[in-house]
Amino acid sequence: MLIMDEDNEKAYRWEGDYEKTWEALREDDSGSLQASIDAEINKAKKRRLLKKQRKVRLGMMRHIFIVLDMSQAMTDQDLKPNRALVVLKVLQKFVENFFDQNPIGQLGFIITRAKRAESLSEMSGTSQSHIKSLMKLSSEITATNAKSCTGEPSLQNSLELAEKTLKNMPSHTSREVVVIMGSLTSCDPSPIYDTIEHIKMQKIRCSVIGLSAEVHICRHLANETGGTFGVILDQTHFVDLLNDHIDPPSGMATDSSLIKMGFPQHIPPHENGKVSMCMSTKQFSVGGYYCPQCQSKYSELPVQCEVCSLTLVSAPHLARSYHHLFPLPQFSEIQYARYVHQGGREQNCFSCLKNLQKGSESSVHQCNKCKTIFCLDCNVFMHVTLHCCPGCINSRCEI
Amino acid sequence: MDPGEQQVLVVIFDVSPVWWGLKSLQGQAHITKFFDSLIIFMNSYLMLHSDNKLAVIASHSTKSIFLYPPPQAGNEQNSSEYGDCRDKHFAVVDNAIISSFKTLMSDGCEEKDMRSDSLIAGSMANALCYIHRITQELESRERASSRILVVKAADDAASQYMSFMNVIFAAQKEHVVVDSCVLGQDSGLLQQACDMTGGLYLKVPSQYAFLQYLLTAFLTEPELRKDSLVLSRTKSLHSVDYRAACFCHRCLVEVGFVCSVCLSIFCQFSPICSTCETVFRPSSLVLKSRKKRKVPSRSSSPCTDASIK
Ligand SMILES: [Zn+2]
Ligand SMILES: [Zn+2]
Ligand SMILES: [Zn+2]
Ligand SMILES: [Zn+2]
Ligand SMILES: [Zn+2]
Repeated sequence: MLIMDEDNEKAYRWEGDYEKTWEALREDDSGSLQASIDAEINKAKKRRLLKKQRKVRLGMMRHIFIVLDMSQAMTDQDLKPNRALVVLKVLQKFVENFFDQNPIGQLGFIITRAKRAESLSEMSGTSQSHIKSLMKLSSEITATNAKSCTGEPSLQNSLELAEKTLKNMPSHTSREVVVIMGSLTSCDPSPIYDTIEHIKMQKIRCSVIGLSAEVHICRHLANETGGTFGVILDQTHFVDLLNDHIDPPSGMATDSSLIKMGFPQHIPPHENGKVSMCMSTKQFSVGGYYCPQCQSKYSELPVQCEVCSLTLVSAPHLARSYHHLFPLPQFSEIQYARYVHQGGREQNCFSCLKNLQKGSESSVHQCNKCKTIFCLDCNVFMHVTLHCCPGCINSRCEI
Repeated sequence: MDPGEQQVLVVIFDVSPVWWGLKSLQGQAHITKFFDSLIIFMNSYLMLHSDNKLAVIASHSTKSIFLYPPPQAGNEQNSSEYGDCRDKHFAVVDNAIISSFKTLMSDGCEEKDMRSDSLIAGSMANALCYIHRITQELESRERASSRILVVKAADDAASQYMSFMNVIFAAQKEHVVVDSCVLGQDSGLLQQACDMTGGLYLKVPSQYAFLQYLLTAFLTEPELRKDSLVLSRTKSLHSVDYRAACFCHRCLVEVGFVCSVCLSIFCQFSPICSTCETVFRPSSLVLKSRKKRKVPSRSSSPCTDASIK
């Protein structure tokens, strides 16, 4: 695969558009570039932290259809090696992140090409199946040298296909569509304004990410249904726009309700030697999770019971969302000199033992509750991944 | 296995004064004996590859402390005269661990330290931060396989549940394997942690078995356990309890009601959520029951026909 691994700190300037890297760098008095480079890295890290600060609202039973343009326009090479492959690669990462942040949410994928819309992977709550079909599609594109991206996309057909599934979703859940559009045209069988009106009535929120330029109908669709519209600048910006959909949309009109859920116990294979069929994958296996209401078996959670339509989850699935409810407050940044002046004696980061005196960042990050100090890296790690403060746990501060 | 892969191991040793104190009074176990076994284990680990990285954290009831590496790493002391034939590197590591352990033990306990649980979650959070730093400092082409070994003595604490869960998810996300070696009572939280990260969970029956368990089971890196019949089987032997406890009575539920706004679990229906004070609209209930009737009738007709035949 030719695509660069843009997993982590893609926002570094020299990884983004390498033509201009030197413009941001200045030599210091001794002629070294290191300080300038470090400053750039730290800026990128801080940007990531700030992004985390946004308030999240918890309409968390989410259902999103992602509509992928796979038309001729996606063979364009303004993203390297071409738009289709970049989009598929970025989406794989997105799927992982989405289920991380929306443990009981569901995703579905629709592709549109040659005036048609077809389902790439059905609405489901397991990341593996989505990633598998995305990978399959991208190897198909590589194998055929992007010949499989043909014709024009059809916005209307895709929306109608998505609506067919979304309108059956319970009213307390969110219904969302994210369209990734490379083409500037859409081939629709009937007036699309009627479809948009219809979508709006179903409370389906549509967002569009344009890969080429602003198209009136896309903006109109987003405005009407309360979604967002954006045109990408480059790959990093595309990742940003897409990642905006990981957090639940704020201010979305979803009915709050009490949902009945089942918490099945896991029966390990050796305890019950009988072979039975998993109702979602339709495959035979030994052991699994049994629906407490109707005893049908599933090999994976979360899932909606096919027989009695009870939502089956495990306690950790719900626990995974607790960090939305109890977000870790931002730490305050203090200059190291000031920290020492105030009587601080620690020289190392509490969690990773990194020396705080030397290095490019001469500031420390302090938890306002337990007053423990950390380095910048740990601060980012705690807010993005860990969602708790080791200092607070250790001093048994109540959350 | 993969020569380019670097091993990172963080050992968390539960030094709960209450648990060890009781065991010592009963003459069943002494902390220093276990500590000695742990030192042997850590030396064996370091011996496997010269690049192997190690950190040791002591988990006390009110603090968690890095025993190794020492905080002021950097000023290498003159470590040539250790007098015995131990390898220099091991001598440095051993002495550092032993001296910080001695300091910790001689610190004594205050009234507030008298708690039945240890700060395992806090120590694990620190371990993850440390691993995060080590992996960040690696050269870009190097990969690290990291794991945490928890040697747990004291009981689980419900108060740490939330932080514990956060730590497990972070470990899962960072591909850090959590192994646990339990000396006292079975720990439901650690069972979940091991199950979710693909680690090994073992309960040690006696002090004499401790070192043998460490050397046979926990010395093997997770990647290699898959090929071992014995070690790969042990994982699935325990059934892990993933049931949820309701927020209202703290009882385990099989079918419960979950608030769609804050995901609190209740064992019975109530019109208002006690956690986030959301009032549930009665209309949503009506809608739900109507939908429930509709869904089976639509999908069941071909299905039931088939099953009758
Ligand atoms: Zn069922
Ligand atoms: Zn740190
Ligand atoms: Zn704190
Ligand atoms: Zn209850
Ligand atoms: Zn609530």
